[in-house]
Amino acid sequence: MMSDIPIQAVAAGSAAPGIAGTPAYADGAPNRLADTTPAPPPGTAPAGQSGIEKIAPTRDERLFLVLSIFIGVISGLLVVAFRIAIEWIRLLALGSAPHPGQIRLLLVPAIAGLVVSALVIWFFPAARGSGVNQTKAALYVYEGYISFRTVIGKFITSALAIGGGHSLGPEDPSLQIGAGVASIIARNLRLSRRRLRMFAPIGAAAGLAAAFNAPISAILFVIEEVIGSWSAAVLGSLVLAAISSVVIARWFWGPEPMFRIPSITLRDPRELMAYAVLGVFGGLLAPVFALILGYLRPRLRALPRWSIFLQPAVAGLMVGAIGFFGFPQVMGTGYDVIDQALHGQFVWQVLLALVFLKLMATTFSFSSGTPGGMFAPTLFIGAMLGGAVGAFEKHFFPHLTGTVGAYSLVGMGVLFAGFLRVPLTSVFMVLEVSGNYSIILPIILANTLAFLISRSLQPVGIFEIFTQQDGLDLPSMEEQREESSLHIEDALQPVSVPIVKGSDALQSVVQMVTDDRARGCLVHLADGSWYALGADELTASSAALTPETPIQRALKQDRLPLLFPDMTLDSALHCFPRWPFLPVLNRASRETVEGMLTIDDVLRRYQSPGNASALA
Amino acid sequence: MATTHAPTILTPEDRLARRRLILQDAISLLTLFLITSVIFVLTLFLFRSFTHHRQELGARWKTRGEAALAAGHPMVAIDDLRSALDYVPDRQTEIELATALADAGRNQEATAYFTTLRESAPGDGTINLELARLAARAGNENEAILYYQSALDGTWQGNGYDRRRQVRLEMARYLISRHDDNRARNQLLIAAGNAPDDPDIKIEIAGLLEQANAPQDALRIYQVLTSRREPPFAALEGAGRTAFALGMYGAADEYMARALASPLAAKLTANQKAGDHYILDISVHILLLYPSFDLTPRHRAERILSLRSIARQRLTSCAGSSAVTPPQLAGLVSRWDQLPPALSASKLEQQPDLEQTILQLTYDTETTAARVCGAPAGDDSYLLRIAQNPNAVEQE
Repeated sequence: MMSDIPIQAVAAGSAAPGIAGTPAYADGAPNRLADTTPAPPPGTAPAGQSGIEKIAPTRDERLFLVLSIFIGVISGLLVVAFRIAIEWIRLLALGSAPHPGQIRLLLVPAIAGLVVSALVIWFFPAARGSGVNQTKAALYVYEGYISFRTVIGKFITSALAIGGGHSLGPEDPSLQIGAGVASIIARNLRLSRRRLRMFAPIGAAAGLAAAFNAPISAILFVIEEVIGSWSAAVLGSLVLAAISSVVIARWFWGPEPMFRIPSITLRDPRELMAYAVLGVFGGLLAPVFALILGYLRPRLRALPRWSIFLQPAVAGLMVGAIGFFGFPQVMGTGYDVIDQALHGQFVWQVLLALVFLKLMATTFSFSSGTPGGMFAPTLFIGAMLGGAVGAFEKHFFPHLTGTVGAYSLVGMGVLFAGFLRVPLTSVFMVLEVSGNYSIILPIILANTLAFLISRSLQPVGIFEIFTQQDGLDLPSMEEQREESSLHIEDALQPVSVPIVKGSDALQSVVQMVTDDRARGCLVHLADGSWYALGADELTASSAALTPETPIQRALKQDRLPLLFPDMTLDSALHCFPRWPFLPVLNRASRETVEGMLTIDDVLRRYQSPGNASALA
Repeated sequence: MATTHAPTILTPEDRLARRRLILQDAISLLTLFLITSVIFVLTLFLFRSFTHHRQELGARWKTRGEAALAAGHPMVAIDDLRSALDYVPDRQTEIELATALADAGRNQEATAYFTTLRESAPGDGTINLELARLAARAGNENEAILYYQSALDGTWQGNGYDRRRQVRLEMARYLISRHDDNRARNQLLIAAGNAPDDPDIKIEIAGLLEQANAPQDALRIYQVLTSRREPPFAALEGAGRTAFALGMYGAADEYMARALASPLAAKLTANQKAGDHYILDISVHILLLYPSFDLTPRHRAERILSLRSIARQRLTSCAGSSAVTPPQLAGLVSRWDQLPPALSASKLEQQPDLEQTILQLTYDTETTAARVCGAPAGDDSYLLRIAQNPNAVEQE
């Protein structure tokens, strides 16, 4: 069975021959790193990565930023070329003004499906699917590896499919193309494996930024859906790459936002209610869309092998039929139709029809394994839903001042938040693609509602559903985002040992510890540092030294690390083999002890039932 | 996390390897730069050819759409203009597309489109005008007037002066159709005040003033036009018509006679000609009955006596048509009884007060009889016309 991600290869990876520690991949030869990484020139002593680190320890760090710019520029150029390729194919195949009744609308998507299917099966098996999960797999499974062939394959097959009328978008493929560019560049520069893995999301951000003409959204999406957490180590490079690619994209397409947005303002705060209704509808539609996709995709894959060749063609025929019999708007990316909806060119009945037809068309195209993305269809369906709800509301409540275009715009974000489960990206995406910040309140309200409703009805996000269907166990970014790490304050206990000064006599300290039956004492030294003196160490010192000896002379050279209540609990763990207990200090006054920690306190906190759900 | 690297002492081999590595990296970056340049050039070539093709397509579809719109095929224009917008987004094309939607009767879509366009350009005259037309078509009078007013106050490309006047006249026509004559008259008077010295425009405005039941204002415009060395035929005809409507039968007679004497009168249809002749004939008859102060006292007294006789007969026949004299006529009968039974013209000409009393009674008699017994015919009808505004008959 053809799969988005080569499962068998993953299993075989560790055993495959090649550079030590690198996995093998199923989209061609056993080890791609061995194929693409140039051999070190003769006479170079430190051939391996450890050798490079020895002779040039800061090389990776310096190259990292420079290469981020190159990745951004090349990704931007490739994405521009990709979009032009899609448009050229569309013009040549479907004509400059496709309209219902043209027989080519029926034939072209089906033929494109056949060609794409053949290319994917015989030449580019890793080009299948949207590109987001493949990029995540590259990051978490293949150590940042995406082959050159995958990049080429993604470019060609996605352009053919989308240009040929399949109801898919170019953004997710652009993301994978960007990640692939980054991977190729990083490999050829022989960067360390850690850096290599970090480059995939950087390229992904660059590709997505150029496709959306929206750098902030691209960065946020990669953080929300690919990396899963804010990482200062890659943020700088993400920004550099995304900005570089957008600069290139704008050099070609111009500085205008992706869609021509009419002037939109929120005049009456009461109108937020109307937008909230839209959020509810979006929250209800998103799980329906996810459920249909999640149901059909594995069932089509379970069909006999020969049918896999025909599935994209049949899907193309069905999408073409929708176009042929009256709704060519559902074919291709649908940007122009979104633009028309934003300008109020459709009545609500048409908008509603487009919601359901596009949903069907996208389900056919995507479930059949045709390469192409889900972003543009999601925006399309959201814009139509928003327009329909807005027009309907305005029909019955004519005093509403927001235009139908405003509702379409908010609708785009609503489905993005509900279906793709990226709430932060959805807000910024709408703001960036529209270039209009005056509608932020309705967007935040409607997107949040859609996200919450969708998540309560369908707890598993769409990308996770696909991951599970592909038999992979990639981390769930949605859960990862919401994980709450424990802090020292969560395990903090009152000080149960005596606190003494460094100048106190050994005898008096021993007396205090004995009287309190404490496990030791905390010694505050004249230089402001602290020492945790255990009972055993104290006993040993009292045997070796006279009773009048100041206690500080009984201490070893090292001092306690500074721990504060807001630090993560993990940061205390490594101290325990050395120290029997740890004082936790106040950040404003290091002489004030807030409490103390023992290894038992920390372990007890990790094992407490309340923590299990937070870390699940 | 920032890491610090302790200085490492390198062997000569390591130093050589480091130099090689730096060289390698420099070559790699240079290669990367060259690859980027090549991709840039290729993308640029693709982009230029693509953009050029899109512009060609956009221009082609726009031309087709505009032609279809001008030829009265809005449905075809909609498809063509939509295609044009896909390739070359342009505000003018958007307005044309919305206009095509309106022309095709897809009012809801057109209104939505124009409303959206108005959001970004609330002062655009064309958009407001189209919205006014759509609102008028939908029967939303207040909205239509609001949009018409916005169109008047808005900005116009090209000759804004002319476009605003056209909008004002269109608004006046709409108000007339809604029987809001007062507001229509106001708009028309502003239009007349701002109109250039163009007889056709003034005649159009005067015609609309007539429709707005403002014949006096219309007559003023016609009169100005008739004072030209070569007065337009329509102005003479209009002046005659409005003067007649105002009871200014002397002026009506004069203007209509001049109009009908004009060679252009030959181009009138039979109905138009009959209408003009009707006005002229009635005016002549009225002038023959009217006791003008321009007449000699004797002649005037004779006419008053003649009118008295006509009115008396009308009262008699009207009162006799029913068994009981209607109460409205009873008062008149007693007033008639108070008049001297026999009067000669020579006596009457000596008593101007009596002349006035008799005239007033004849007017009251005709007016009341018309109310009680229906519209009169013959001389009674002329006398009734005089009675409606006796002072206007000879006004210029």
